[in-house]
Amino acid sequence: MATDTISPETLKTEYLRPDECVFYVSNAGFIGAEIKGVRYDRVLLKRALPFGAPEDYVCVSDIEKNEIGIIEHVSDFSEEQQTLIHKELTLRYFTPVISDIISIKEKMGHFYFDVKIGDVQKSFTVKDLSKNVRMHGENIDIIDIDGNRYRIEDLSAIATRARRKLEPYLY
Amino acid sequence: MPKQKNKKQNNTPDRKDRFSEAELSALMKAEFDASGALFSCKGDMDDRCNYCDSFLWFDKQHLFVVLAETQIGPVKSRKKRLEPKIEITETKTFPMEQVDKISCERYVSTGRLVFEKEGTPIYAIGFSMRLIEHFDRFARAFNSFKKTGVVDLPPENKKEKGVCKKCGAPCDPEKSYCKKHDRKTATAVRLFSFFGGYIPQVAVVLLIMVADSLVTVFVPQLSTRQLFDNVLSTENGAPAAEMFKALGVLVLSIFGIRLLNAFLSSFRQYIQGSIMPSVIYDIKVKIFKAMQRLSVGFYVSNQTGSLMNRVMRDANNIYWFFVDGVTGILINVATLIGVLTIMFIMSPKLSLIVLLLTPVIYAMLFFSEKLFRALHHKSWVYHSRVSSMVSDNIAGQRDIKAFAKEDDEYVRFEKVSGSFRKAELKLALTEATVFPIAEIAVLILSAFVLGMGGTMVAKNEITTGTLLSYMVYLTMLREPFDFLSWVSNWWSRCADSAQRVFEIVDSDAEITEKEDAVALDQISGEIEITDLDFEYEPARPIIKEFNLKIGAGQMLGIVGRTGAGKSTIANLIARLYDPKKGSIKLDGVDIRDLKFESLRKNIGIVSQDIYLFIGTVADNIRYAKPDASMDEVIAAAKAAHAHDFIMKLPDAYETRVGSGGQKLSGGEKQRISIARTIIQNPKILILDEATAAMDTETERNIQNSISALKSGRTTIAIAHRLSTLRDADYLAVIDGGTLVEYGTFDTLIRQKGEFYKQFKLQSEALKAAGILDDSAPQDIEEEE
Repeated sequence: MATDTISPETLKTEYLRPDECVFYVSNAGFIGAEIKGVRYDRVLLKRALPFGAPEDYVCVSDIEKNEIGIIEHVSDFSEEQQTLIHKELTLRYFTPVISDIISIKEKMGHFYFDVKIGDVQKSFTVKDLSKNVRMHGENIDIIDIDGNRYRIEDLSAIATRARRKLEPYLY
Repeated sequence: MPKQKNKKQNNTPDRKDRFSEAELSALMKAEFDASGALFSCKGDMDDRCNYCDSFLWFDKQHLFVVLAETQIGPVKSRKKRLEPKIEITETKTFPMEQVDKISCERYVSTGRLVFEKEGTPIYAIGFSMRLIEHFDRFARAFNSFKKTGVVDLPPENKKEKGVCKKCGAPCDPEKSYCKKHDRKTATAVRLFSFFGGYIPQVAVVLLIMVADSLVTVFVPQLSTRQLFDNVLSTENGAPAAEMFKALGVLVLSIFGIRLLNAFLSSFRQYIQGSIMPSVIYDIKVKIFKAMQRLSVGFYVSNQTGSLMNRVMRDANNIYWFFVDGVTGILINVATLIGVLTIMFIMSPKLSLIVLLLTPVIYAMLFFSEKLFRALHHKSWVYHSRVSSMVSDNIAGQRDIKAFAKEDDEYVRFEKVSGSFRKAELKLALTEATVFPIAEIAVLILSAFVLGMGGTMVAKNEITTGTLLSYMVYLTMLREPFDFLSWVSNWWSRCADSAQRVFEIVDSDAEITEKEDAVALDQISGEIEITDLDFEYEPARPIIKEFNLKIGAGQMLGIVGRTGAGKSTIANLIARLYDPKKGSIKLDGVDIRDLKFESLRKNIGIVSQDIYLFIGTVADNIRYAKPDASMDEVIAAAKAAHAHDFIMKLPDAYETRVGSGGQKLSGGEKQRISIARTIIQNPKILILDEATAAMDTETERNIQNSISALKSGRTTIAIAHRLSTLRDADYLAVIDGGTLVEYGTFDTLIRQKGEFYKQFKLQSEALKAAGILDDSAPQDIEEEE
């Protein structure tokens, strides 16, 4: 079957258009939505492509994790709606941006990172860099032993010594 | 005095969550008295996931959340810091009646603790992943207090993971120490302890090594100094005959020394060869034994490849380091000391020059080794990637061809292989540049020594023989320097391996047998599950508040969607995992109080994933009862409808199966597994999707086998095809980890609930496919 014959109708994918859903934030800070006339006090947003296309294919489900539909492009929504969606996604995919790497030390098969995130100094440990350092376009995502994620947005801003340690794992 | 084990109370927070004096007093200053907290928890984020300190606790009346900024206290002395400065930035107080429940939600890389009132979330606070277990425990403590008025948490079996044993700092959950306290020396001491049983042999090896080195060091004294100064010297005017005689003696002496060298070396290797395999055997056995002790959860969280590496590769890394590395260190250090001593005795003046210049050369070698290490590592990473790609490509050849992706794969390989080529080129070019520089430095040193030495010979300060032998000693220094500049890297690799080995040896089994566990020889098979809660990962509940009773000899069918928790219930009954809350009783005894042997002997599992061990078909059938006679094996195979196909195999019951053995179909393997369970003769039988992957005919055969197995036992059958559960006395429908429907087949059909819905769907699908189902359609049609 040719790819162009696969339509959303045949696959029954429910794409959410901006005119049929409105997101809002409750007083307690939780995102809810009114989708096709149905009000959901709380919805969950999940990226289908969290690294490759974080702004496309965002799945919206109810609190029981039943899928309501998929937002094909967040950019199709109004700016105000985009802000709400972004806030929720940023919270769910919390990935602090590393502004500087103070040091990366290797000891007993573990890599110990001392980094700066804004003004805050953070230390974390990464095991098996080849699995836990992923490069996506210009971004480098690092996952530590606890599952916390960190991002380097500008590799050139990082000291050469630290860059040399990371380099073999970037592809 | 032996250290007392710090036994943790069930209803107290973890060590990390108890507030310090400084924190309590900072809270007190803000008029919060947390000293009477029933339970507390410390976090690292605010409600929008900004980094800050958070303090959560509750007492009988209120639930408190305090956010603060903490500045680490200045250093007071080498080991002490002044108290941290805690500045409170935000506070929230919730009267108890305002919060009904707290739930712990797991996000992608963070978690949130959500306070709820009548099902509506009213507040949430974030935390990083490392703290998820602490926050989950806090939520459980709060919920239990709201429900019962007391903080009643189930016993925390696991040791506090991810915390350094020495300082309490966060560390890898698989490790016991943080970066600071994870010392290679401790690993080395532990490694050397494996040699404890071979002390005399080790002492002999060490002595031989030192003797061997000293003898080697002595050779140039004869072969060069003696030869030139005494034997070949024309100054003393000795007759030719005497000169030849002296030469003969010298040659024989050198030959004798070399012979002694060779003898000592082979004697050392002989002794060493008898110790090392035993030590490696001890290490491998220790790892394997530790692995058998560990619970299923350990194997789920660790990849098979990684575990295999620990047993095989890591043990071998240790082996080679001890065989070549340790001996190399000893020989080279002894040679270095010996050579330097002799050089100093021969000419202190020349030695001073050498001593001044060699650190420069050593530093050059050391730093070039560091550079090469980084380049080698880079090359190794790319090489692994190329290897993985080749293996991926070979394994996926069928799909590559089916999708006509050969060219794409080639392009992909070219790219990865190109990176490897680049890394190798860089390594080769650097080697080509750095090595000559080091060589030139050595040459400069040699030239310098030769020039100085020549002048000294001319001034009769030293003899020609002394200078020549001195030059020989100078070249002898090169090897120890080279070796010692890179052996630290080798030791690092060995220490890494040893560390990984000790991680397994030190791992605590999550499922353990109580010291006073009860043995039940005869059981009736009654199972009672009460208030069961279970999760594989914190804050991802799989089973919630599950209650069920199965009478002795009854058959219970468990149905539900994929991921509903059906197999988890089976795993919990077999005690492959322990519940987070609640209990499972067998004949009225909690399974955690039973001896493993009593439990496992009485529970047989036939699952969808069958594993046949390397061995014959007969060996596999009698796995649970190794002393079963051949008559029993054949009877079991017949009962499992396996006998006929086994007899068609080339070597019948002696056909080798398992990895590398005869290929069997899924249905054949399943029947062998049923035969294995028949021989075990358990009182409780768990059939976990036993026929899910079978075609209709095989399924029918296996159903017949299973029918033979069920009689006289308590049977729990988990199945997707609901028609196969027609014989069940009762059916339990599970959804989202909770029991949603329970009753007989007919009752559930009449109820027209979830079971009816699923049953109808399946029946219609079977009808559409033209497969007649004996029971279902009539039932449904009648109801319609």
